Amino acid sequence: MQSTAVITPSTLSVNDLPWQIEWDKNTCTLCGRCTSVCPVNAIELGVHRKRTVEALPGLPKKPTNSYSIYHGIRQRTDPAYRCIGCAMCNMVCPNNAIAPRLRPEATTLKFHNNRGGAARTRGGRRNDGGSLLDQIKFIRISMLTDPALDAGRHEFELRTLLGRIQPPEEGLAALAQNGWVPAVREIYPLMIGSMSFGALSPNMWEGLVMGVTYLNEELNMPVRMCTGEGGCPPRLLRSRFLKYMVLQIASGYFGWDEIIKALPDMKEDPCAIEIKYGQGAKPGDGGLLMWYKVNKLIAAIRGVPQGVSLPSPPTHQTQYSIEESVAKMIQSMSMAWGFRVPVYPKISGTTTSTAVLNNLVRNPYAAGLAVDGEDGGTGAAYNVSMNHMGHPIATNLRDCYENLVISGKQNEIPLIAGGGIGKNGNLAANAAALIMLGASAVQSGKYIMQSAAGCVGSEADRCNVCNIGVCPKGITSQDPRVYRRLDPEKVAERLVDVFLSFDTELRKIVAPLGRSTSLPIGMSDGLGISDYHVAERLKIKYVV
Amino acid sequence: MAQQTVTIHGIENGQRVQSRILEERIQRAVTQGARELLVEAFGQHGIGGRLWISREEPIKVRITGSPGQRTGSMGFPGTSIDIDGSVSDDIGWLNAGADIVVRGNAGNGACNAMAQGKVMIAGNIGSRGMTMTKQNPKYAAPELFVLGSVGDYFAEFMAGGTAVVCGHEPQNPDNVLGYRPCVGMVGGRIFFRGPHKGFSLADAKLVAIDDATFGWLTENLKKFLDAIGRAELFDALAKRDDWQLIIARSPYEKTGKTRRPMGEFRAQVWDAELGRGGLIGDLDDSDRSTIGLIVTGELRRFVPVWENKKYLAPCQASCPTGIPVQERWQLVRDGLMDEAMDLALAYTPFPATVCGYLCPNLCMQGCTRNVGTLKPLDTAMLGKANVKAGKMPKLPELSGKRVAVIGGGPAGMSVAWQLRLAGHEAVIYDPAEKLGGKISSAIPSSRIPADVLDAEIARAREILPHIQTQKALSADEFAQIVTDYDFVVLAVGANKPRMLPVPGKELATPALTFLKAAKKGEGKVGKRVVIIGAGNVGCDVATEAARLGAESITLIDIQKPAAFGKEKHDAEEVGAVFKWPCFTKEITPEGVMLQSGELIPADTVLLSVGDVPDVEFLGDTIATERGHVKVNSVFQTTNPKVFAIGDIVKPGLLTQAIGMGRDAARAIDEMLTGKRPCEDTRKMIDYKRAKLEYFDPRVLEFNDLDSCASQCSSCGACRDCGLCETLCPVGAISRQQQEGKEFAMVSDPEKCIGCGFCANACPCGVWSWVENTPLTT
Repeated sequence: MQSTAVITPSTLSVNDLPWQIEWDKNTCTLCGRCTSVCPVNAIELGVHRKRTVEALPGLPKKPTNSYSIYHGIRQRTDPAYRCIGCAMCNMVCPNNAIAPRLRPEATTLKFHNNRGGAARTRGGRRNDGGSLLDQIKFIRISMLTDPALDAGRHEFELRTLLGRIQPPEEGLAALAQNGWVPAVREIYPLMIGSMSFGALSPNMWEGLVMGVTYLNEELNMPVRMCTGEGGCPPRLLRSRFLKYMVLQIASGYFGWDEIIKALPDMKEDPCAIEIKYGQGAKPGDGGLLMWYKVNKLIAAIRGVPQGVSLPSPPTHQTQYSIEESVAKMIQSMSMAWGFRVPVYPKISGTTTSTAVLNNLVRNPYAAGLAVDGEDGGTGAAYNVSMNHMGHPIATNLRDCYENLVISGKQNEIPLIAGGGIGKNGNLAANAAALIMLGASAVQSGKYIMQSAAGCVGSEADRCNVCNIGVCPKGITSQDPRVYRRLDPEKVAERLVDVFLSFDTELRKIVAPLGRSTSLPIGMSDGLGISDYHVAERLKIKYVV
Repeated sequence: MAQQTVTIHGIENGQRVQSRILEERIQRAVTQGARELLVEAFGQHGIGGRLWISREEPIKVRITGSPGQRTGSMGFPGTSIDIDGSVSDDIGWLNAGADIVVRGNAGNGACNAMAQGKVMIAGNIGSRGMTMTKQNPKYAAPELFVLGSVGDYFAEFMAGGTAVVCGHEPQNPDNVLGYRPCVGMVGGRIFFRGPHKGFSLADAKLVAIDDATFGWLTENLKKFLDAIGRAELFDALAKRDDWQLIIARSPYEKTGKTRRPMGEFRAQVWDAELGRGGLIGDLDDSDRSTIGLIVTGELRRFVPVWENKKYLAPCQASCPTGIPVQERWQLVRDGLMDEAMDLALAYTPFPATVCGYLCPNLCMQGCTRNVGTLKPLDTAMLGKANVKAGKMPKLPELSGKRVAVIGGGPAGMSVAWQLRLAGHEAVIYDPAEKLGGKISSAIPSSRIPADVLDAEIARAREILPHIQTQKALSADEFAQIVTDYDFVVLAVGANKPRMLPVPGKELATPALTFLKAAKKGEGKVGKRVVIIGAGNVGCDVATEAARLGAESITLIDIQKPAAFGKEKHDAEEVGAVFKWPCFTKEITPEGVMLQSGELIPADTVLLSVGDVPDVEFLGDTIATERGHVKVNSVFQTTNPKVFAIGDIVKPGLLTQAIGMGRDAARAIDEMLTGKRPCEDTRKMIDYKRAKLEYFDPRVLEFNDLDSCASQCSSCGACRDCGLCETLCPVGAISRQQQEGKEFAMVSDPEKCIGCGFCANACPCGVWSWVENTPLTT
């Protein structure tokens, strides 16, 4: 700061910032890599004047001054250039001379992240490390009461069903009367949640689909990925790989003209159609792909002009009630593929989800319900939406499942749970907990980004700049200068690693439970928690 | 002891003997010397095991009937068990050395955890045979021979020993090894004969059977067939080509599941299905190959730009005259003192008088060094050096265009000077004998030495014709001038003193009147002087009054005095007292009566509340506003042929009047010659760009021009220090000499990594670091 500069209310010191750059003058070699790589220009070269007063013991003569100049790396304190803690500086530093350190006690910035009256927007999750799912324990261990199973030795049927599963007599009757039964898919219970082409970089998206394809075709794991609402590349629509994709339609309806045009050319039906009504990370709020991300490629895939911002409104513009939505959207989407493809809505966790579910139960074309809890991630949302809006997934899913149980439909309409699964790295345990609370499958996006692409985002507000096109790992940017850092093949490889290890972990959970022939969906008697009220609420065992 | 067969009955008196009792009886018989036993089994558990004595003396056990589970379990070396028919589960469980022959089939779990001994089965076995077997290095390895086939999950976690599956009349002819054999197998080997449906390739592998191995097999196969009484099968079974051998993989061979390399998958599956370029190859042919974190060329996110002289230095931007102060200091630094002086004359006819003495030096107030609380450069020192130095700029041929300048003060002289430098004749009309306006007539000589002023006026007079008018210009005369000339510039200044509307105002002398008289040596004051209006002119009045003998001088004002700088300092120096707020009620012979009732005694009252222009001669041909002439942005009046500059437009500083002259002259020249507007529209450089850390903060005074010049940060203009060249981490920056003295610092895009070091280190703020042009459209 200049000596004559005046301060403003938002003039901050380094010590006001949560992420503080530690720089070591002795080891720094001034190679320029850190400032070159910093995604937000939080660091820069500083010119420093060093003064030495030379005084001799006993002051035999008048002391003298000497000045020297040195150059170093300096952190900027302007909130617009705050350090985000991504540590790319550290990654490129040859001498480990620089690194961001989190100082959670430095909270001042929180009160100055609304410059120009613009409320903070960001990517990431709630920035809350707590996880109820992590606290759930699997307490019913079969040793002698059931056949003891060995995760490494035995074979497990881990696939789940997506689609309306009618009781045999109903299905047969329906077939006899109408010549039609609802489409049902056998899929892997861990789905890759919707992340659009556009929110993700082309290299990231290609890597994910490549990995999914590999899992299906090389490893026989029927993993499915949801496109998000950014449309789907025309080549994918016309390839056999389409069957591994869940196409999403949302309020922006991006890319659907390309999908419709591809219908006659499709070699395979897509796995399913997801109608997005809400997103757990920002329930009740829409999305906006900023104009600078809408380049030629994105424009082509989404079927929009280049260089314009693309809003996805919070609601579908021509739908006014869940009854109408169910009637119109599920019908339309089913009809597009001759009623051969399961169609299900995805909503954000809400106290009204059971009302949605009850409508779906009455609709024979409804293939399931996806519920996305408050801990879900996103590429861009208002901080307030992310931090404060939404319903935790555990109780919301549980309520839905119990609702189904009451109407005896728990095996008929699959519930897909999402939102914060694996937020602390416990992907399989969280997934298994949700499955045992009643989910037929789970969806995860953020964990996949973290594990398959090296996303450095954390629940300590690290990085979280998915929304401004500077993702240091090239995951959420449309700038080739950034996304070319990401190798699609490596993403695909990591995705395969993730699913293989998830598969092992899931077996390690279900084997001791004595389950190998089907997923323990709704097997809540095997769950326990040391929180009495949670146990009561979820109707699982209270164990201490 | 004579060999004698002891028979143990599994049924006694029609009742089944409990396993515990049967075991007791067997053990007792052996203890009592029996070495050959016949057990008529009836489902009893564990028959034939744990006969410790067999270690010393062999024991033979023949079992008839239906032995129960775990027959021969924990069998001891030296024990041989011969079972007439089939056995239940777990035959040979934890066998530690017994030889067991089963003349029928065996159930599940045969030889589970067997460590030594042999088990020979004349039929088939159930699932999980030969699982968890061991091989203790101290003893011979365990062996299992099965004439037929084995059930599912065979050899799970097998850790040693040999299994021989002959595949003779197998229970399952399609698969003699059962479903998923060898999972977790870590040791031992399995000979088999017949078809199989796969085994755990992660744990085991097929190997060729070498001669020695086959020798072992045939030798032991023969023994097995002899033992089970099927020697006739030997020839049929001992065909080498029928046999295969599975052994466990060593830990080094267990590299986990091998996966197809993703690169191969991408080429052979992904691209094959989607087409060249993969997912979006049809939409985007740009290069999407992987790049590193540190890149050069067009891949850089930010690039350096050498913005030499793109922005104005703050000194120049602050100077109303627009003098390139910093460029002058650069010339001084370069040892080109003459050029530094010449340069000033291109901008002003008064570099010494104004810059050196009379100007408050807004350039110094604007100097970047103030930002770092460093002492700004001393422009006054530079100005003072300009009195006689400096060549007149080279005068172009006269264009034939003529401009009349009404008024020969600083504004008029400036516009005339500039017009002449542009090649147009500029004639000054001024009633004064000596040009210079208030500088010559009213500003005290204490502030401007006469020789300096005279020298500069003389220099100007060399090129500027002066028509001395005898009286104030009339409207008609003015109209004639407008007709006669191509353009007219009004620069008559403000010479009509503003008066206060208070009683006794006629007792006061206007400041301008007083100052002019004083300068001519005709001024007179009493001992006590009160000056109404405490601006800088008031201060001049105070110093002159003091020079003329005033003993007490009071400056009053209705608000905090606006006086500043040298004028105020000089006034205070002579003992003038400032007093405010004072609202004059009346001027009396006793002094100034304030509205508060206070009387400030005065022998002389001087009124210094400003002057207004006398614009009567303009008639209504030119619009005025509140006594001043209305002009547009280039000082053109409502008559397009007439310009107006200086105090007639707006009261201001000398440098502002001179600056207006320059601007008006440029506009007139553009109109006369049809040039495109050539106004310098550059913006001032951001103070933050210059780096003051390179300068010693304790330099408090400048001894000479050279030492002063050395402290200039050269804002916005490269000072050719070479720092960027030195600092660039990759040596991308080099100095390129261009024509004449021109040069450029150039960053090589193929080397530059876009770190921004140059931009943040440049003392002058010339380098900037900007976002690179977007790569995608």
